Amino acid sequence: MSTIENREAGQSPAGRDVEDERAERTLVAARAHRSRESRLRTRDLVLSIAAPIVLVLLWEVCARLLIIDPRFFPPPTKIVMALGEMALDGELWQHTGPTLLRLLVGGGLGAISGIVVGLLMGSSRALNAAFGPLFSALYPLPKIAIFPILLMIFGPTELPKIIAVFITTFFVMQIATVSGVWAIDRQLLEAGTAYGATGFARFRFVVLPGAMPFVFSGLKTATGTAVVVVTAVEFTGASTTGLGYLIWNSWQLFIPEKLYVGLLVIGIIGAVLTTLLSRSEKLLLPWRRNT
Amino acid sequence: MHAADQATVVAEDVSKVFFSGGDPVWALENFSLSLEPGSFTCIVGPSGCGKSTFLRILGGLEERTVGEVTMTGAEHAVPAAFVFQEHGVFPWMTVLDNVAFGLRMTGTSRRGREATARDWLARVRLTDFADAYPHQLSGGMRQRVAIARAFATGSPVLLMDEPLGALDAQTRMLMQEELITLWEQERKTVLMVTHDIDESIILSDRVIVMSGRPGTVREDITIPFERPRSFDIERSPEFGELRSRIWNLLRDDVRTAEETA
Ligand SMILES: Nc1ncnc2c1ncn2[C@@H]1O[C@H](COP(=O)(O)OP(=O)(O)O)[C@@H](O)[C@H]1O
Ligand SMILES: [Mg+2]
Repeated sequence: MSTIENREAGQSPAGRDVEDERAERTLVAARAHRSRESRLRTRDLVLSIAAPIVLVLLWEVCARLLIIDPRFFPPPTKIVMALGEMALDGELWQHTGPTLLRLLVGGGLGAISGIVVGLLMGSSRALNAAFGPLFSALYPLPKIAIFPILLMIFGPTELPKIIAVFITTFFVMQIATVSGVWAIDRQLLEAGTAYGATGFARFRFVVLPGAMPFVFSGLKTATGTAVVVVTAVEFTGASTTGLGYLIWNSWQLFIPEKLYVGLLVIGIIGAVLTTLLSRSEKLLLPWRRNT
Repeated sequence: MHAADQATVVAEDVSKVFFSGGDPVWALENFSLSLEPGSFTCIVGPSGCGKSTFLRILGGLEERTVGEVTMTGAEHAVPAAFVFQEHGVFPWMTVLDNVAFGLRMTGTSRRGREATARDWLARVRLTDFADAYPHQLSGGMRQRVAIARAFATGSPVLLMDEPLGALDAQTRMLMQEELITLWEQERKTVLMVTHDIDESIILSDRVIVMSGRPGTVREDITIPFERPRSFDIERSPEFGELRSRIWNLLRDDVRTAEETA
């Protein structure tokens, strides 16, 4: 409307008609372009939902028609039925509970202490000089390899499993946090100094928020690693509970449906934790450009 | 000597030596400068001659190797407020919190500092962006935040290191006008580094032309245009004379800096 009004001054009526017609054509073309773009977006969404559904259906059909061996790939409906039964008779919770406990307690404590140590080492040159090389040397060591030592010390209790998850998370978070502190733009640190942020204020207003993006990406990595470690620890004979145990035991007893149930549930746990982290990142770091 | 007596900032024979690898790099050699209170001074010089280093020494961001620096107003909580070229505002704080930051560090109450910050946001025309984060702003708006943050501290001395250097030419002209207006109202002691000769003449009372590394004062030029100023002075013959005089002083050193860089 306003474009037409703006152009009204000082133009002959005929000229205005031609102008209007041209503007109208341009707008029609622009609208067509926009609606095509939104059609494509809808299509992409439908594809992203439909493709997995089709694949699962295909699996179901192939398993039923014995095109794939249902002993190795039981049809999805059977897996879901097994899931239902196990949920009702409590077997599912008996395994999900301990796995969640190990993940949340070991991972939670590991993340907190990893972040704290990382912040300290990132802020103190002396601490980093003392422990940086040591932690770097320990980092590539597969943490799962020390599980037998933990078993030796603590016996076949909950403690060694929780500690295994703790150590894994700790190392990932410590390294991620130190990198986060170091990645802070030098000019921002100087801006802090120039405006009188020293001691705790510098930590609270500059170092901590500056390191947060790396902390969050570390948390996502750590979640993935912790899920792997908890499963592996539960595979060992040291455990008679947990989703890892469920998977391992179902293999030994050859009950493939239950094996897949274990796989499914641990996959869901990983996905839920990762989603929660992404959500809280968006909430806690509203200043980030891309997230 | 009289000028030095009432100067806000006095630097005497300041030298700075960096070590890059095993070799000493003389960034500054016996650099002396005193700024009168309420004056606007620009430093121009070839790149790498130690302009930033000098500003950073004044701002307490860098240790001097030898020499004396005194600032009256050192009792102020933020003795010298710094404006950086780019990336100087905290991306994790809203525009309002950024502008209020200096006052927050000096322990001003929330009410007090937010009132001052809002006042400054209005003066740099960013009232509507108080709750935005820096990534939502254009480069020019971010620098207005940085400038507002410096003024809002109430610090008697402002140190600006190429504050408009990263902006496109038109935004830069606009910001120069705004900076003149703000400064003419406030009359803080400003020391500003720029690589833009026109900018130095338009903004300042005095232009310090530095030599190539190690940086020393090559010439100290008084800019005679009266205040309040406008861009009209660019059309005057004196302006052209000043510009070519400064450029003649710089040309050889800039060439050397280019060729050795
Ligand atoms: N932290 C540093 N370590 C080593 N050399 C430095 C450091 N900072 C600056 N320099 C050197 O000091 C000289 C002056 O730098 P600077 O003050 O940034 O120049 P300008 O701002 O005039 O371009 C340059 O040659 C630069 O390489
Ligand atoms: Mg510089």
